[in-house]
Formats: sequence, structure tokens, C-alpha cells
Amino acid sequence: MHVDNLPAGGTAPPETDTGPAARPPVVTARGVTKAYGRTRALTGVDLEVRAGEVLGLVGHNGAGKSTLMRVLAGLEACDTGTVLVHGSRASAEDFRSVRMAYQETSLCPDLTVAENMWVSSRHCLPRLGWRRAASDAVRRRLDEMFPGHGVSPRDRVEDLSLARRQMVEIARACLVDRLDLLILDEPTESLGPDAARSLYAYVRRLTETGTAVLLISHRIREVLSVADRVAVLRDGAVTAERPAAGLGEPDVLELMGAHVATPAATGTRAAAGGAAARETVAELRGATGPGLREVTLRVGRGEVVGLAGLAGQGQQEVLERLWRPVRRDTTVKVTRAYVPGDRQRSGVLPLWSVGDNLIVTALRGIARRGLRRPAEERAVVGDWVKRLAIRGGAEAGITELSGGNQQKVIVARAFASPAGLVLLDDPFRGVDVHTKTDLYRLIREEAAKGRSIVWYSSENAEMAHCDRVYVFRAGRIVAELTGEEISEERIIAVSFNEDGGND
Amino acid sequence: MNIRVTGSRRWSGPWNGAPWIWGFAAAALVWLVILAISGQGGGQTVSLALSLAPYLVIVGLGQMLVITAGPGNIDVSVGSVISLAGFVSVAAASATGSAAVGILAGIGVGVLVAAVSAVAILGLSVPPIIATLAAGLVASSITLSMANGFTAVPDPGLRSALNLRPAGVPLLALAIAVLTVLVVALLRRTVYGRSLIAVGQSRRAAERAGIPVARIIGSTYLLSGALAGLTGALLAAYIAPSADLGTRYLLDSVAVVVIGGTLISGGRAVPVGVWGAALFFILLDGLVNLVGWSTAAQNLLKGGLVLFVLFLAGGGDRTASLFRRRSRTATATTTSTGDDTDG
Repeated sequence: MHVDNLPAGGTAPPETDTGPAARPPVVTARGVTKAYGRTRALTGVDLEVRAGEVLGLVGHNGAGKSTLMRVLAGLEACDTGTVLVHGSRASAEDFRSVRMAYQETSLCPDLTVAENMWVSSRHCLPRLGWRRAASDAVRRRLDEMFPGHGVSPRDRVEDLSLARRQMVEIARACLVDRLDLLILDEPTESLGPDAARSLYAYVRRLTETGTAVLLISHRIREVLSVADRVAVLRDGAVTAERPAAGLGEPDVLELMGAHVATPAATGTRAAAGGAAARETVAELRGATGPGLREVTLRVGRGEVVGLAGLAGQGQQEVLERLWRPVRRDTTVKVTRAYVPGDRQRSGVLPLWSVGDNLIVTALRGIARRGLRRPAEERAVVGDWVKRLAIRGGAEAGITELSGGNQQKVIVARAFASPAGLVLLDDPFRGVDVHTKTDLYRLIREEAAKGRSIVWYSSENAEMAHCDRVYVFRAGRIVAELTGEEISEERIIAVSFNEDGGND
Repeated sequence: MNIRVTGSRRWSGPWNGAPWIWGFAAAALVWLVILAISGQGGGQTVSLALSLAPYLVIVGLGQMLVITAGPGNIDVSVGSVISLAGFVSVAAASATGSAAVGILAGIGVGVLVAAVSAVAILGLSVPPIIATLAAGLVASSITLSMANGFTAVPDPGLRSALNLRPAGVPLLALAIAVLTVLVVALLRRTVYGRSLIAVGQSRRAAERAGIPVARIIGSTYLLSGALAGLTGALLAAYIAPSADLGTRYLLDSVAVVVIGGTLISGGRAVPVGVWGAALFFILLDGLVNLVGWSTAAQNLLKGGLVLFVLFLAGGGDRTASLFRRRSRTATATTTSTGDDTDG
């Protein structure tokens, strides 16, 4: 009865000669439906997760992925249909071996890493000396999963970066004496590529011992490379189940019902030669400080400037400098707006409606002598709700919306203001392809109107929508790419190229 | 701790429809009991309550603004400010012969004490409860030294104005009703009000949305100080300046805010509710006097009531949030999930 006998002492590996279809199902959903009020989240799901396989689950935001996961994990009862664990009707005890790592982590921010382990895994920790046991277990698990993670069991969760919190969250889900099904919800959205690779290597080892893994991700290529099978969820039902082998990204997108979006960035991108001629609206001159070394960059009017590189190499520090230009090495000549990436902590105002959330930045500009002008505000809100097709409309409570739609509101908040410089802090994590395409178009449209945009993204493919990209490594700019030079391969090459920098 | 707070903060709750109604309902109930026990003078009781409640409402409105600024924000200096402002305003009024100068002096003292708190909170990052406690201590020691050999008497003109009750409705109650409407307008219709409510819901999000958080919080404490100062000036003219003039108003101001339906975790203010709760408290005092309980028993009752309301509000919200958590896609709520469910 100990937490750290996995994966070495897990259940016996399945006979290797049997195909995946012959393995026993761990969790089975049959005709599962679930409705919340008028919203029908699940309309009849049939799904099997078999021992020792990685099942990828893809679908748009609002397709019902979150609900399905919660039903499979036993957190919610379904309205009709059945959920079977090991072939029998599941009781609460059975669900103990089904664990879920959330995208927006479920950790208590005020507790330490070890204390959080106790919260979720106390039934497999000793009563006395649990702190030591939990610390040892979580350290061992983190070492196994993410070598070089840099997390101490005594760290308070609130003080950890988003990536580290995600690591702890995943480790938390795996800390149990018996793990039959591990559900990973967008596990790599806030992890860097290295950590993602380590995670998937661990997932492989886990499945060899017979554990099933259900992987939910918007990164379809990632799903295809890791999963054995892919299930497509659409409008609350599984519309397709295919072996991952031989399946391509366009195939999956088609199954999801997206008209395959080719990056239309190059067409709309302004002439690269014009960049030098633009009036400078913001610049950093040799900025040095915590996380930054000798960073010099400029942003022209109407320019989309990308900050690329691996996660945590100084990009966010640059955004911070531009957001609060208090030091002498930073000049910003225009008003600013900020789109946070961590939408739960720094984006959403939970007690307010969509409209209230959207207008909060712009209302300063609309107001006259400190008094609001409701009619004008309503007009602006109406425009943006329509322009970005925000589900639920202006009156809906912000927390009633799906994550993608919440993110649309936060983006609209910044662009509805008259700000001349909009700072994007990796805002499109966990947003579905459809929404992303809309938002990319919005960024180009707004830049064409003369707004400058500084855009940090952990997804290098996004950088194709920029006019100019600075690539960061260890707090330095190691490359500046312009126009046609910007490509995912190039950025990756530069971010990893040790010769490029000088440390 | 954090879990509970985030868990109870969501867009709509069971109290969202008319959270102010409970204070008025409780006040009406107590009034009926008084009527039943004494068997006479129902209108007179209401009139008396209306002449005492405004003082509590003024200071309560200030406290409400501070509490709305978010978790941790509270002004525990209001009691000392009321006492000090009482002395200062009476002294200023008798020195200049003008009641208006006296009132302004009272407000000014309140702002000054609040400025000390604000500097400590924003400049030195002292937790608000400590900062306002310290500022309050400073204020009360000044009060004590002023009280020694204090001879000035309150302005008779102001005193009779405060006692005016045309048709049984105190003039002051009407004036403070107007003030309440102004506070409602401040919260709904001004940039400051909107910013304050945003800061109260999530300080980080408000900061990223471009709201000058420090300025908003600072001015909120100054407003609370000004309102406490005004209370002190009026109260000293109505009763008489004394060193413990404001003592009971510390607990009461927090209590009426909470009972009035304002969220203790910030982000939602209910100015009208302060009225209902203030009337409830004043009538409750009357009832307890009528029955013949001691002051100690009164305080016990009040403290118990506040805890009860917090229990109802917190518990109600939490049970509601359990339902809501099940009734929503996981994204919005997983941050607040008490995670023992899947462990």
C-alpha cells in the first residue's frame, strides 16, 4: 500500500502478442448522456479505454471533452447510460484507480507541493510522517517524469511557474497505489518541449505496465505521435475512432469538422522591408535585470513582433518591462493593454458577466469625467461579441463560458480599449483551432489599423503570423527573424543552437 | 483558506437576486416582536430607529467600500476615527462658531488617519488589518490627550437640526438616504466604482486589465476615513464628544456590511443592504433593552448573529457552488475544486 511502487511494481504487463483490441477495457462508457439545464453536453457517448493503450481524445472546445472526462473519472454521474470500470458498474471505490490531471491545475495555491499530495493521495500515505512520505514520493515521481524539474516538495504552489505547477499536477495524478487509467487534460499546453518529451516517455513506460492513458489535447500532431487510437468527439458524441497509425493531422481536423485552415499569415503580413521605416512606439535598450541580459528590441507602429524561444527564457520579463515601463532603459510612447495567458488567475473577473468583463479596460476611455456612458459601452460590447462570435452573448456570466470563449473575452478586452500597444502573454494555450484562427485574423486586422502587438508564444508555429520575431535564450536575444525567415524549424534551430548564444 | 474564498466567488449566487432583503426582513421581524411585547407605539419605534441608524449607515458605507476592495481589506480604525473626529469637530466648531467648519474638520481628521493607513498598506505592504489598527491606535491616543479637560460644547444649531423630525421622519435619515443613493451611483456609474469592484474580484486580473490598483485601494481607504470622520462629527453633535464615542461602531460597521449582503471576500457591494442591517441592529438594541438584557448579552447576541450570517452566506454559497460545479464544463471551476473527490 505505498505510493511509489509504480511503475515498477504495477499490474502485470499484458501479453505482448495480443493486439490492442484484445486487451480488457479499463473504463467503458455506454450511451452516456449529460445535460446541464438546456445545454446538452453529452448526447450519447460510447467509448472504451483499454488497458495498456494511449487513447487520444480530440474535439473542439465545447464538444464535451471536459464533461466526458469528468464522467469517466467518476466525478460526475451521467444522466442516462452507464460507466463501467473493469466491466462492472462502478462505485466510488473503483474510481480510485482512475486519476485525472487537470489543465487548469487543481492544486491548492496556499499549500506546499507535499501538502498538496496529501490532499489528493492521503489514502495511500501513512498517517504519521505523511509529510516526509509525500515529499519523498513526489520528488521521486517528478524525477522520473521530468528530470531537472527544479521543484522542491517544500515550494508553495503559488510561487511555482505555470509549467512547474503543471508538472506537479501531473505527478499528483500519478501518485496512487494502483493506477488503471490516467486522464491527461492538455498536459503540455504550459510545458516546454523538453518536459513534454519526458512526459510522453513516461506515458509510454506507464502503458507498458498495463495502465491506460486518456490524452486530451488540441495539439493534434502530438496526439498522433503518442496515441495508439484517436477518438473524435463532436457535439457531445464520439463520431470517429481510428487507429493513430496512418492518420494525418488534416484527416483528424476533417473528422473534427474543421475546414482545414492553412496558415494565411504570409498573405496578410506587411511588406518586410517596411519595418525599418516604421515609427518606433516602444523599445528596450540593453535592458538587464532578473531574467534579462542586454536585451535591445524595438516595436514599430502597426507591427506584430513575436517573442519566441523555449518557455521561460526572458520573453515574459520583456512583456513585464513593456507593461510597466518604469526603468530608464525602457521607452513606451503609447498606451498599453495586456492579454494574460493565465486566464483563471489574471484574466477573468468571476462575478461579472461577459459584457462587464469585456468593457472593463475600455470604459476608462469611453467615460467622461469619471462617469460611465452605458449606451456607448453597450455598443462596443455588442460589436465585439458579434465580431468574435462569443457564445452566450454579453449577458452570460463569464464563468458559464467554455475556456476558449473566456479567452476570446479577455482578448477582446484588450483590443476594445484604445491601446496603441497590445501585449500578448501566450494567450492561446488551450484554445481550439477554430478560435485560434479567428484570433490570428483579428491580430492582423488590428495591426493593419496601426496598432502594435508584442506577442509571446510557446507555440512556435504561431510566430508565422508575426512581422518580426526575436528568439530568446537564457535572457538574451539570440536571433531576429524577419518576414520569410520566420518558420517553426528556424525558430527551433535557433533556440537550441548553442553556438548562437554566448553562454 | 484560499480554496473556500475562490469557491464562493462566482458570478451568481443564491443572494444575488436581492441580497439586501434579509436585513430589512430581520428588521421588520424585530419590529413586530417589539410591537408584540410593548403593545404600543409602533410608529414611534420606527422613527427612533430611523434617527439612530443613519450614523451606523454612514460608517458602514465606508466599511463596505473597503471590504469590497477584496480579501484582506478591512478598516478597523473607524471606531477610533469616530471618537477623534467627534472631539476635533466640536473643538473646531466652537472655535470658529461654524458647524460646517466643524463637520469639515471631522471629515479632514478621518482622511488624515486613513492616509496613514493607506501609506502603510500601499507603501510598506503592511496587511490592512494591522495598518488600520496602528492608525487607529494613533488616533485614539490623540483622542485621550484631547479628552483631558475638554470643555467645548457641540454646536446647538447642528444638534437641533439632527433632532428635526418632520412627520416623524428624521431629516438626517433623508440626507443619508441621498448619500446612499450617491454611493450606489458611485459604484455603478463611475470608473472608480467599476474599478473597485474589479479589484475586489481579482486583484491580479484588475491589474492586467489596466486598472490602477494602488490608486483605487488608496482612495477607498480615504473615502472610508472621510465617512467615519463625518459620522464622528455628527455623532458628537448629536450626543456629546467622548473617548468611547466610536467604540461600538467598529464591530457594528463590519456586521452591517456583512448582514447587508456585501461579499466578505470582495467584489460585490450592496449599499442598500447596509440600511436594512443598520435598522435591524438598532431595533435589536431596542428589543434587548426592552427585555432588559445587559450590554454584554447584547454584544454576545450581535457577534453570534454575524457569525450566523457568515455561516449562511458562506455555507449557502458553497452548497450552491457544489451544484454549479456539476452544472458547468470544468474549465471555470477546476481551480477551486476541493480535490479530495478524485483521491
